[in-house]
Amino acid sequence: MLSAEEKAAVTSLFAKVKVDEVGGEALGRLLVVYPWTQRFFESFGDLSSADAILGNPKVKAHGKKVLDSFCEGLKQLDDLKGAFASLSELHCDKLHVDPENFRLLGNVLVVVLARCFGSEFSPELQASFQKVVTGVANALAHRYH
Amino acid sequence: MLSAQERAHITQVWDLIAGHEAPFGAELLRRLFTVYPSTKVYFRHLGDHPDEVQLLSHGQRMLQAVGVAVQYMDNLRAVLSPLADLHAQVLRVDPTNFPLVIQCFQVVLASHLQGEFTVEMQAAWDKFLTGVAVVLTEKYR
Repeated sequence: MLSAEEKAAVTSLFAKVKVDEVGGEALGRLLVVYPWTQRFFESFGDLSSADAILGNPKVKAHGKKVLDSFCEGLKQLDDLKGAFASLSELHCDKLHVDPENFRLLGNVLVVVLARCFGSEFSPELQASFQKVVTGVANALAHRYH
Repeated sequence: MLSAQERAHITQVWDLIAGHEAPFGAELLRRLFTVYPSTKVYFRHLGDHPDEVQLLSHGQRMLQAVGVAVQYMDNLRAVLSPLADLHAQVLRVDPTNFPLVIQCFQVVLASHLQGEFTVEMQAAWDKFLTGVAVVLTEKYR
């Protein structure tokens, strides 16, 4: 999927990411830009406006959790399906999340990274990251039945 | 439909692009071809390895069309009708490619505006560009 150089570039850029903030921002932006995704977060409290969503502590906490898991996945780029097997089962059996949402979140994460890194987020880096988020989304969908 | 705030966000961002359609358009195409290489099949007239001059020229045309759409965002169907005809009869770009262009457009905006690229701008532009894509593919069948 990724060449050795791409893996190195992705890992190197991601090491500079503020994991605490980027996860919450990506999840928050998903919920604002694609409001139907809020259907999975009805227990999260106030999602009534963009400010409410981005400031929501549960959104931030869950965003961090999602990104921590994504970080773990980055260490196993050669076996994403294995790495995300149990999370895939969880999202299918317990959370009942349409896998399309993984693709949407992956795309939003790429936009957030572009925002963080500006011109450093070259087309080549974008390409590598899009491959990663696609791989993660596919891995999360893999155990659906 | 676009709310008044969404329209404001759209024009606010466009004001930063206006006058720079060529470099923004070139970057959009560069990202599109790098991230989603299959999209190059629709741009064979640019050659196998489009150079900067070609990307600037074609990118400018695309972004100028976006600028027209911004100017007439309440009447997209009428103002984009010739482009809709072109896409339906000549270009016949598979509709699944438009979200790829939109993703690259968002990345261009985010990487240039960075801290200024609010979630409201992202939401408004996603909705607006999706609306443009709907109009461009509406006459396909």
